[in-house]
Amino acid sequence: MQANAWSLGLRTDVTVTVNIRRRFKMFKMFRRVRLGSITALAIGAMLLVACGGELATAIPGAPTIEPTTAAGIATTVSGAADTAVAAGNTAVSGAGTVISEAATALPTTVAGAATSIAGALGSGPIPIGIGVAQTGAVALLGQEEVTGAQVAEKFFNDKGGVNGTQIKLIFQDTAGDEAGAINAFQSLINQGNVVGIVGPTLSQQAFSADPIADRAHVPVLGPSNTAKGIPQIGDYIARVSAPVAVVAPNAIDAALGINPNIKNVVVLYAQDDAFSKSETGTFQDTVKAKGLNLTQVLTFSTKDTDFQKQATDTISQKPDLVIVSGLAQDGGNLVKQLRDLGYKGLIIGGNGLNTANVFKVCQAQCDGLIIAEAYSPEANTDMNSQFKEAMKAKQGDKPPSQFNAQAFTGVQVFVEALKSLDNKSKISGMSLADLRTALNKEILAGKYDTPLGSISFTPEGEINQAKFYVAQIKMNPDGTTGTFTYIK
Amino acid sequence: MATFFNTYGFLIVSMLLAALLALSLYLPLMAGQLSLASPGFYALGGYIAAVLSTRVFVTQPGGLFPVPLVLLEMLIGGLASGVLAIIVGVPALRLRGIYLALATIAFIEIVQVLALNLEITGGAVGIFGIPQPFKTQIEYIWIAAPLLLIVALFVYRLERTRVGRAFIAIREDELAADAMGVNPTTNKVLAFTMGAIVAGTVGALGAHFLNTWNARQGTFDASIGYLAFVLIGGSWTFLGPVLGGMALTALPEVLRSMSDNGALPSWLGEFMKDGRFIIYGFLLVLGTVFLPQGFVSPALFERRSKRKEGKEVPPASPAQRGQGLGVS
Amino acid sequence: MDLTSFVQSLLNGLSIGSVYAIFALGYTLVFSILGIINFAHAAVFTLGAYFTYALVGGAVGFNGLLANKALPFGLPFALALILGSVLAGLVAVIIEVLAFRPLRAKRADPLLTLVSSLGVAILITNLIQYLVGAEPYSFPSNTYEGLPPAINFGTPNSPIPIRSAQVVIFGVSVVILVILTFIINYTQFGKALRAVAEDATTASLLGINTDFYILLAFFLSGFLGGVAGTLVGSSVTIAGPYFGISFGLKGLAVIVLGGLGSIPGAVAGGLVIGLAESFLPAELSSYRDAVAFAVLFIVLLIRPRGLLGRTQIQKV
Repeated sequence: MQANAWSLGLRTDVTVTVNIRRRFKMFKMFRRVRLGSITALAIGAMLLVACGGELATAIPGAPTIEPTTAAGIATTVSGAADTAVAAGNTAVSGAGTVISEAATALPTTVAGAATSIAGALGSGPIPIGIGVAQTGAVALLGQEEVTGAQVAEKFFNDKGGVNGTQIKLIFQDTAGDEAGAINAFQSLINQGNVVGIVGPTLSQQAFSADPIADRAHVPVLGPSNTAKGIPQIGDYIARVSAPVAVVAPNAIDAALGINPNIKNVVVLYAQDDAFSKSETGTFQDTVKAKGLNLTQVLTFSTKDTDFQKQATDTISQKPDLVIVSGLAQDGGNLVKQLRDLGYKGLIIGGNGLNTANVFKVCQAQCDGLIIAEAYSPEANTDMNSQFKEAMKAKQGDKPPSQFNAQAFTGVQVFVEALKSLDNKSKISGMSLADLRTALNKEILAGKYDTPLGSISFTPEGEINQAKFYVAQIKMNPDGTTGTFTYIK
Repeated sequence: MATFFNTYGFLIVSMLLAALLALSLYLPLMAGQLSLASPGFYALGGYIAAVLSTRVFVTQPGGLFPVPLVLLEMLIGGLASGVLAIIVGVPALRLRGIYLALATIAFIEIVQVLALNLEITGGAVGIFGIPQPFKTQIEYIWIAAPLLLIVALFVYRLERTRVGRAFIAIREDELAADAMGVNPTTNKVLAFTMGAIVAGTVGALGAHFLNTWNARQGTFDASIGYLAFVLIGGSWTFLGPVLGGMALTALPEVLRSMSDNGALPSWLGEFMKDGRFIIYGFLLVLGTVFLPQGFVSPALFERRSKRKEGKEVPPASPAQRGQGLGVS
Repeated sequence: MDLTSFVQSLLNGLSIGSVYAIFALGYTLVFSILGIINFAHAAVFTLGAYFTYALVGGAVGFNGLLANKALPFGLPFALALILGSVLAGLVAVIIEVLAFRPLRAKRADPLLTLVSSLGVAILITNLIQYLVGAEPYSFPSNTYEGLPPAINFGTPNSPIPIRSAQVVIFGVSVVILVILTFIINYTQFGKALRAVAEDATTASLLGINTDFYILLAFFLSGFLGGVAGTLVGSSVTIAGPYFGISFGLKGLAVIVLGGLGSIPGAVAGGLVIGLAESFLPAELSSYRDAVAFAVLFIVLLIRPRGLLGRTQIQKV
């Protein structure tokens, strides 16, 4: 290649000169234009700054009736105007707030903190935000959460909502990424004027978006965030999804109950999934604590579909028990391929496999799979029966999944906390900022009878769940439907 | 206005960061090298900032993280990326066109697998609780906007310095440039390294901005996204990537807000929200088909300057001249 | 490593690699004609699987616009496979007409077709999700009637099992490879295609209707994508709208490794990466995804145009 350059030296020489000369001409020509654009950019930036500065200086002049620590700028919800008169003084007192940190030039506020929700609450439904992954790679989980939340909306509104006021769920799709979660949360908090948020789907997204909600003093309930450290993000962050540490050991006990002679154990987990990664740690510790022989730890990715290698590597260890931590699609495939390739022993599936979606993946080969559950459709409580009934109207015979139940529970906790708050002091009289703060306190103080069983929260926001379950999958002869049979 | 900044503060800064990332891809493209490695350096910069701010520069909880430390992290992130870029770039830049692009994708994937496996990066969960230098997301504009201005000015100036002309000469005709005494390897590695430094610096800021950092940052999808920024914006001057990055980042959110304001019939509003990525994909196709030179095309300039300069034939965009894929 | 585990790893590699290979075949076909990477191929692959699923009478799940709907009839699997793949081929043709041809007509930057095909991929993926949700779909378990779940290539005492579905995929990839090679090298159609690939302008001057042949190439590529999507889907279930996308990146590595545009190269590349992954020691399994790319990186440094790629003399 280089030799060509030598032989053609002269000609290329000319080409390049021409090209470069042409370039120069263009540069000259566009210099003015480009400088113009840069000037425009600079002016734009300055305008932005000026604008922000103006707002910041304008704030001290805003009505200062009831200074609160939550910073805010007076705005009214659109559509609230007609009711504002009726709401009277309370609306005004709610609307007035001051910025406590005026030092920063841009309006650094807790969004919509001073919105006069009084009017909105007086007549319209109470907005609760649902920010989960409706699209993107984890949409499978997010869509189950949407279904659970929708069922909850209808269920509780049919029962009279919050002491007669209906609730209204506002959905904002977070997609599967961190930036999407922040955008969705910002939109819910500032434009949706929600009293609280159920979401996001993934722990990684929670680490990104929850601090934003916390700083805005908006209560958040994580429906499926199981990683360590979620409730510790802030005072306003709690979750209804139990961390894996407490769920997993039960399943190993159950397996030992079925086959007391278990010795060798192989553990597999999805290394790119935060949930599975935390869960497998617990499983591995438990295996060792029980004196079992952990012969091999193998990894896969949630994007994988072909597990030929992991399966044959597993089988070559001649295990008595295989433990799989993954999500429905990849975990189910792994189970199927293990069985296809001749593995006969027990298999424990992690909490991520606790969904009826797994039936479609491993089909008849799901039979006998032991699942660690934070929610069991078989749980025999009154609330769960009602929940199952409501779900049946929505999706027929498909048993409700843990994600359905957890999203439902998230909405339920909001509704019941709003109810008990309203019983203490009328929420229609509160400013949105006050309501959010009071609601957060109320959530953490309450005790709830949910489809997950009886739950409450630690002061930090961690869930106290009374009961965990272990189930074994029983497939029907058609090979596509089945049930989770409760065993522990 | 306040609600606007609160709602869109994150988006506005995201747009600036996207513009910067687009520039980081544009720099090697200036020298005719299609490198998709930017997300790898972005991830590296982010990890450096995340580790430094959570383990090394520990401040008391509750308080704001000092801005100078953020700047220091950005500097370290940028430098580390630059060094890695030289190590990777020297062997990789012997490849051309799509082969180089693929080698850089391989680089991204390897970085991602390492991030999932190393202890210090926190595996799949990543690093969280990254301290915040500001109280709200919009205030990140105080770092992001000057950074964008500096980088944009730098690229603008670069386009007319000796080095920049060398880049362009290589892009136009590598053999000829070589024959003229422009060392292609040195200049290509230089352009690649500059892009990496920008990406690493942005990553360091991005880690604070996103509150958390994990192996999902800086993936292959992101690199194709940046390429779309550059090509939709126009790969002809630095303004193209800047505008392309901003516009494409804002698009899904604009669709979201259009669906929310209630002006549309409800079915259309629903579709704009739930189907906004369908529309995004559709617009991406429309954009390339109807504006093959990007928003900021030579024709745009031509129209504006026709009155004074007379008719000038617009040069083809860089890759149009066949440097692109390099297939027979 | 004893003989059994060596043979097992070898067969595992072929099994894993055959999935990569079957994915890459349609991918590389378009590249060899147009010299562009068609990101939308992964989406067509996914669509093909969904088409076949619908044609065998499978019902849609509970999410999406078409919730709980199903076709009023159900075709046998083999027929559905062919029809579904034809539909996928037609989608590929539509993609060519709407997203590629206008760019070619404007002599636009070849990189732009990357973006435009990416747009198509995003569009199709999200459209699938909008219509039928993100749930996994699986073919009836009796798809391969008469075949056991796995075939033992070893002895009963030291079994070397491979899943039957994977054996089918391997067989089909080899058959497609042979047929494609024959078509391209020995038929009138193939010769015309090669002429278009070599130099579209000259080919059209010689009276070859280039647009028509490019259209046919897209159809063939989409058809192969549909076959591949269905077969892989029948082996591992259709994992949702991102089913094909997850193969896209490794598929790209495969065709580059084999040499862009080389059809035997796509199969060779797939098998090399499959084997590299399967011989990776179990202790290092967490680095498996890096293996394909590490191999790619190294091969590119040694052979900058891939394993079977033609070395190109740069013309000035």
